[in-house]
Amino acid sequence: MNCNQLHYFYASLAPWLALSLLLLGRNPHPSRLRSIASPLIAAGILLIPLEHFPLVRWIALLESNPSITLTLLLAIALIARVGGPRLFRSQDWRAAWLVGSMASLVLYPAALGLSPFDSYNLGWGPLLAIATAAITVVLLVIGNRFAYVLVLVLLGMIFHPMESTNDWDCLIDACYGIFSLIATILIVISYKISTGHSGNARRKALP
Amino acid sequence: MSFGARIALALILLVLVGGVLIIGNGAPVASGFQIASLNLPSAKAEKPFYQEEFINASQDLPFVHVASVTELVDHSLAALWYGGPYEHSPENQIYFSKEKDGIWQSPQIIMTTEQVEHDLNRPIKCLGNPLMLPNPDGTLRLLFVSIAMGKWSGSQLNTSLSKDGGTTWSRVERLTLSPFFNLSELVRNRPVRTTEGWCVPVYQEFLGKFPELLWLSEKDGKISYEKSRIAGGCSTLQPSLIPADARRAFILLRDYTKTKRIFISRSTDAGLSWSKPEATNLPNPDSGISGIRLHEGRLLVTFNDATWGRSNLSLALSNDEGRSWKRIAILENDNEKSFSYPYMLQASDGIIHVTYSWDGKKVKEVTFNEAWVNGQEAKQP
Repeated sequence: MNCNQLHYFYASLAPWLALSLLLLGRNPHPSRLRSIASPLIAAGILLIPLEHFPLVRWIALLESNPSITLTLLLAIALIARVGGPRLFRSQDWRAAWLVGSMASLVLYPAALGLSPFDSYNLGWGPLLAIATAAITVVLLVIGNRFAYVLVLVLLGMIFHPMESTNDWDCLIDACYGIFSLIATILIVISYKISTGHSGNARRKALP
Repeated sequence: MSFGARIALALILLVLVGGVLIIGNGAPVASGFQIASLNLPSAKAEKPFYQEEFINASQDLPFVHVASVTELVDHSLAALWYGGPYEHSPENQIYFSKEKDGIWQSPQIIMTTEQVEHDLNRPIKCLGNPLMLPNPDGTLRLLFVSIAMGKWSGSQLNTSLSKDGGTTWSRVERLTLSPFFNLSELVRNRPVRTTEGWCVPVYQEFLGKFPELLWLSEKDGKISYEKSRIAGGCSTLQPSLIPADARRAFILLRDYTKTKRIFISRSTDAGLSWSKPEATNLPNPDSGISGIRLHEGRLLVTFNDATWGRSNLSLALSNDEGRSWKRIAILENDNEKSFSYPYMLQASDGIIHVTYSWDGKKVKEVTFNEAWVNGQEAKQP
């Protein structure tokens, strides 16, 4: 497998995992047949030729550098959905969304021109790898499993299985960034509601 | 997880970070610009020289645009442009022509949409804005824009290498320069040789419109790159980089504000940082400009001398490093036509070449020397 083939193969993983998850539907316990068939059908759909190119290469037209984080999170979700081990607990997912949100807010506004400072440029130097390692250490210390994903992201920053040579693209992409921001907002809202309810309950309980 | 396992993982992390630091991934930002040496005849003794011609006189295309001219290692000239049925046509191709014995040869097609689609293994809408970097080893590095979707804001940068003077080209590679779907990076103006490779003025026009620099270095045909920013916001674009010496440089900028003026920014640290762009006294109707530094330190710019429209193309000179400008000549003036996207180059023999889109149908080249510039300046009050 040459370098270009590796890039194409890697860029196909995230769309395949995402489509497999979509085909599994919303049933938390899909049948064995559906668990096996969904990834196969997803692969078949992505290979359908459309004007000289398989569908998956049309997706690469828009996103040719899915992040390693997104790819691994999709893989973890798919493994759990098809009856494999639940690798992530709720706190691990929360860490994934929080890190994704923080990275999005640091990266996108400045990189898209909001300031004279280009945050994307940090991904060509050592600073982003050091920051990622620091977050990984913190997560390891508190026993959060998202740290293992970040270890693989750091590995990706060395080998770059994607077209991009920028370390940001190993850590985050626009899809993971948007999902993270939405998920973080939902987590904050649900936290506010739950603390509000418990606060109200406490107030009512007071004499 | 046990304490020992966590320590082991922390050590693995250290090794990984060390790996990232050792391997690195960007191109080193240059420690200095390289100023090409000129084999000038005695400027005072030189006779004024001025000539104009069409580079693609034999070509009959409905649309041609964004021409650039390059001096190759053997001191011959080569020109590039793109053309086809209309601006965003999938049938547009990139054309290449060499000057031989003072005559521009028939244009050769060096890149098509189909070839880029094949090499990148993905669909492409159309091509545009080609630029050539003549490496000192004689190889030619081509940079060009392809549009993934929409118009110019949906563009991406690509590169290819020729080891045989432009006859054949290597597999096209995509450069990733933006984190948001790698959208909206464009190239247009003259690259500058640096101690480590090339500094190429690029710009983004997606949510914001702002100028940047792409730093390229190359080893055994493999390129590494990174970019840095000149200014942010929705302000200026299409930078024209003019080095004064190894550390000092100027950038002239196309305006995208209501000021309708050419902007200038300065660097004193080899392009690492830039001053806040300031408006000059020259107008700009949101159109491309190009500038060079003459050997005595004066700056010369080709620009559309209007706040609206591109029917006039003029030259202006600055004797005070861009603080004030004096118009010295009108290259084109026809209300029925459009003259745009000038590209300036001073070759090693001192001859100044200006190429531009002539009414969107031809690539015109105007050549003159510094003696002609001096004569034009002397004529002005």
